[in-house]
Amino acid sequence: MRLVELSRSEHAELRIRADLVEASAASQHLIPIVVSEFRKAATQYPIVFAKSPETGRFAPYVLNGLGVEENLFWSGTELDVAYVPLNVRRQPFYVGTKDASGVLCIDLDNPCIDGSGQKRIVNPDGGDSSYLKEILSILRELVSGKDRTEQFIATALSLNLLAPIMLDLVLDDRTPLQLEGLYALDEDRFRQLDEREIARLWKTGYLDLIYSVLIATGQIFKLIRLKNQRIALSRAWHSNAG
Amino acid sequence: MVRPVRSICIVGGGTAGWLTAGIIAARHRTESGGLQITLVESETIGIIGVGEGTWPTMRTSLKKMGVSETDFFRECNASFKQGAKFARWVTGQESDFYYHPLMLPEGFPSLDLAPFWTKYSDEHANAPSFSDAVCFQEAVCELGLAPKLITSPEYAGVANYAYHLDAGRFASFIRQHCVKNLGVRHIIDEVTGVAKTDTGDIDYVETSKSGRLGGDLFIDCSGFRSLLLGETLEVPFVDCSDVLLIDRALAMQVPYDDEQSEIVPHTLSIAQKHGWIWDIGLQTRRGVGYVFSGNHTTADAALAELRAYVGDRHRDLQPREIKIVAGHRQTFWKQNCVAVGLAGGFLEPLEASALVLIELSAEMISAMMPATRETMDIVARRFNETTLYRWGRIIDFLKLHYLLSKRTDSKFWIDNRDPASIPESLKEQLELWRYRAPGDQDFTSNREMFPAASYQYVLFGMGFRMDVGNLPLDRDVGIAQQAFTQNETLKAKWTRTLPKNRDLINKIKEHGLQKI
Repeated sequence: MRLVELSRSEHAELRIRADLVEASAASQHLIPIVVSEFRKAATQYPIVFAKSPETGRFAPYVLNGLGVEENLFWSGTELDVAYVPLNVRRQPFYVGTKDASGVLCIDLDNPCIDGSGQKRIVNPDGGDSSYLKEILSILRELVSGKDRTEQFIATALSLNLLAPIMLDLVLDDRTPLQLEGLYALDEDRFRQLDEREIARLWKTGYLDLIYSVLIATGQIFKLIRLKNQRIALSRAWHSNAG
Repeated sequence: MVRPVRSICIVGGGTAGWLTAGIIAARHRTESGGLQITLVESETIGIIGVGEGTWPTMRTSLKKMGVSETDFFRECNASFKQGAKFARWVTGQESDFYYHPLMLPEGFPSLDLAPFWTKYSDEHANAPSFSDAVCFQEAVCELGLAPKLITSPEYAGVANYAYHLDAGRFASFIRQHCVKNLGVRHIIDEVTGVAKTDTGDIDYVETSKSGRLGGDLFIDCSGFRSLLLGETLEVPFVDCSDVLLIDRALAMQVPYDDEQSEIVPHTLSIAQKHGWIWDIGLQTRRGVGYVFSGNHTTADAALAELRAYVGDRHRDLQPREIKIVAGHRQTFWKQNCVAVGLAGGFLEPLEASALVLIELSAEMISAMMPATRETMDIVARRFNETTLYRWGRIIDFLKLHYLLSKRTDSKFWIDNRDPASIPESLKEQLELWRYRAPGDQDFTSNREMFPAASYQYVLFGMGFRMDVGNLPLDRDVGIAQQAFTQNETLKAKWTRTLPKNRDLINKIKEHGLQKI
């Protein structure tokens, strides 16, 4: 990764291949999301919590695979989902910090920066392109969502609502599968909260988030189905080849 | 008439007093009241505060008290300790060192790697050290790494660990917790006298401003003075200086070169001509001290040795001198009074036994808390048996370090190996261990202090040779090989993954550890 501050003049000629943006997630089993995405994410993925290896702090993620670096939604050319997380769609742009305020940065090593791309940063008249405007709005949502997400996590932790989960499955080919370091909302604990606490969650909007996460839990069956399909495909391939 | 035990009065507020208060309160305080615990401490009497090394037991103690490990790191200048590195204890050479790590050998105790390692090192000149061959902690320590990750929950570790801490800050940290969260009543006052009842129990302690403080049980945490148990109840002191020759300490607080200097993740114990130097890395400074025998050298000569160790840059540091009498009270619980900490006794800090004995004593008092004065004598008898046994085992284990030394550079080391100074219990064990490694069969009490593995680390670390010729090893040779290989795998993994000790402590202070 080579992050530099984006310059409308210096980088005016850069072209971006939007069709390669999703490839950045091809081998990500966890993609971070912010709370404003929970509802949409819940229609597609399990929402889990994991600790940052850098800070140990919890953040919410959508789970894309059942193994490290596995993305079962990656078709080879795109993510086969109805909702792609902001953290994928923002590629190859980032928010850096300069003099304690945020600045727009671009990762010059990102493969979607390519001369054959159709997306440009500025219009011929020098103004921001509609593409860049969309990117900026995504980044704004990510930045403003960060604090709200942290507050939600802090509340969940203070109510002891997070609990470690260990995905412990046996797939169709009988291989056992384990995924560690993931945490989920503890439904039993949630059901034990008293009225006062529930009212507080409702007023802050956290109740919606909690239900989104609980509903999203069932998406794990989609991942298992996708994984088993892959196994069946690879088996068919091997038997044909044999 | 049945006299229920409802209130406890703790005299003295160092680490002993506050840890004891915290451990008992965490168990016996209830919503409706439970035991009432009062701690009285003087504003003028300072704490000795030399106990800066803990055992892994401290993790359990803190957790049980409901303390956050993150807060502990932030408030107590604390750092991680993964055992001790003993340098120059065997030959005195520069290259002479061994580790007593906190992790058990791979497969222990169902598998005993010691005879396999012995056989291998009998046959191979460049065999790895015992601790390096059987556990990955020595490698982690040599690289200055922490025992866990920032993603590890509070009190959980990749490698077993204990702490180094600032005893003064630790006492006030636990005090705040006790007063704020555990309902311990705190009185700052001078104790001016102690009164006894007709039956010889402690009736109350007299204070200058707060009057008489009574209690059904008194806990003496008054330090070396042993105000209640020693002075008032006249329990004699059992001197152990015939076994452990050290009787003096010079202690210094040595600043780091800069804020980000490495923090050594283990206790260093470097043998000197007439004793040994401890070196403990905290966040902002090191605690360094020389414990020596005043019968073998002078304080001036010892100070010169200590100064040579800390280096010329720190020549302005003034040491604190502490007189030590190795030994303990004949009994620890008499009448309605039990002593915890220095009031019960003291030994040189070679295996950091001070704080762990406080924890174990407080835990035992808490678990066996007599319901009535009438049953207290039974509890006292059991407490005394166990505690006396524990002191005996610590003394044996400390002595082991000295008698395995081959140093001849001073009378101190030679006198330490005088057969007359070696306890019979230790002599017996050593006879057995000539033909087989220390095992759980040698330590059958549930009151044991050091596991058999600790004896293995010290024995084989110090070059003790065992004759394994008659041991039936063939059957387990494959399993042993697997265990050695597993250790190498873990060593490769964790030396690559674990962060530097300082880096992790910085992160804990910035981000905190998660509780889950």
